[in-house]
Amino acid sequence: MPFQALFEWMNELPSSIALRQSLNAYPILLTLHVVSMAAFGGLIALLDLRLVGIGYQSVPVSKITERVFPWMFVGFFVSIVTGFLLAYSKPMTYFPNFYFWVKNGLMILAGLNAGLFHLTTEQSVKEWENDLVTPPAARFAGIASLVMWAGIIITGRMIAYSALVPQWWVDFTAN
Amino acid sequence: MDAALPFFQWMGALPMSQYFLSTVWSTPIVQVIHLVAIATFVGSVLIVDMRLLGVGLTETPLPKLARSAEPWLIGAFIVLLITGLPQLTSTALKQYYSPFFWWKMEAMLLALILMVTVRRRMTRTDEADLGPFWPKVVGITSIALWSAVIIGARLIGLL
Repeated sequence: MPFQALFEWMNELPSSIALRQSLNAYPILLTLHVVSMAAFGGLIALLDLRLVGIGYQSVPVSKITERVFPWMFVGFFVSIVTGFLLAYSKPMTYFPNFYFWVKNGLMILAGLNAGLFHLTTEQSVKEWENDLVTPPAARFAGIASLVMWAGIIITGRMIAYSALVPQWWVDFTAN
Repeated sequence: MDAALPFFQWMGALPMSQYFLSTVWSTPIVQVIHLVAIATFVGSVLIVDMRLLGVGLTETPLPKLARSAEPWLIGAFIVLLITGLPQLTSTALKQYYSPFFWWKMEAMLLALILMVTVRRRMTRTDEADLGPFWPKVVGITSIALWSAVIIGARLIGLL
């Protein structure tokens, strides 16, 4: 499997071992991860609902992207840092975990979706941002983002259920 | 809290609780729905609290923003109650003996009281009449209380 050597190397690093052996690090990181996730996930859902045209119609789209984005980024940053440290503290617990990889894949897709929206549909935001019915491309980006981020939250929680995975994954990791 | 013990024992013994624990997928499915609802709920609280603090969507009138947030706030809270209930009854004694469960419930009670009293009145008032000070107090208190709810909730399962 790819990345295995990287995870095994991380697993032996003194800082990874120290984090793993600390009694408080894991609960503190996990709690920070959940609080920042809720803040970030909630604010991005707000933008997505506006893009889909089913919520927050009283707010122009560009006001959300301009004024709320910095705060979204704070939540995202804390989530990413704490999430990385959680995985870093137990690399060999996360490495064989099905949901960990699905979550990572979904984060890449969500990033691509956001980047694509920014480079295309968002360029003309001033023309349609006050419309109650948003353009199809904006609605698509919003729905895709909602589905992906919900998937990221769901698979994130499911990491704890490492036994509830497809049989093919069990066979795959056994080899 | 000793008076509440029989009630928690009764919840744990309910057929619903027993059924919930006997199925492999019930708990994770309810937990993931609960978590997605938390994000939705927090977003709709936070955007208004930020507005009270004077950041974020400051160009949208406060009553207008609060009205936009309300359906998501109420909808998410109903989902949280529905998905929280089976988790509470199926692990009733664990919850009863966890200090973080009581911490979470106390913080939630305070947050809800704030939400339906002062905060509600404030988000329906013309801002010119509010002054610069009290909206900030309410905004920061609301954020602190809901954060305490999530922190307590996460720690029930860990410690």
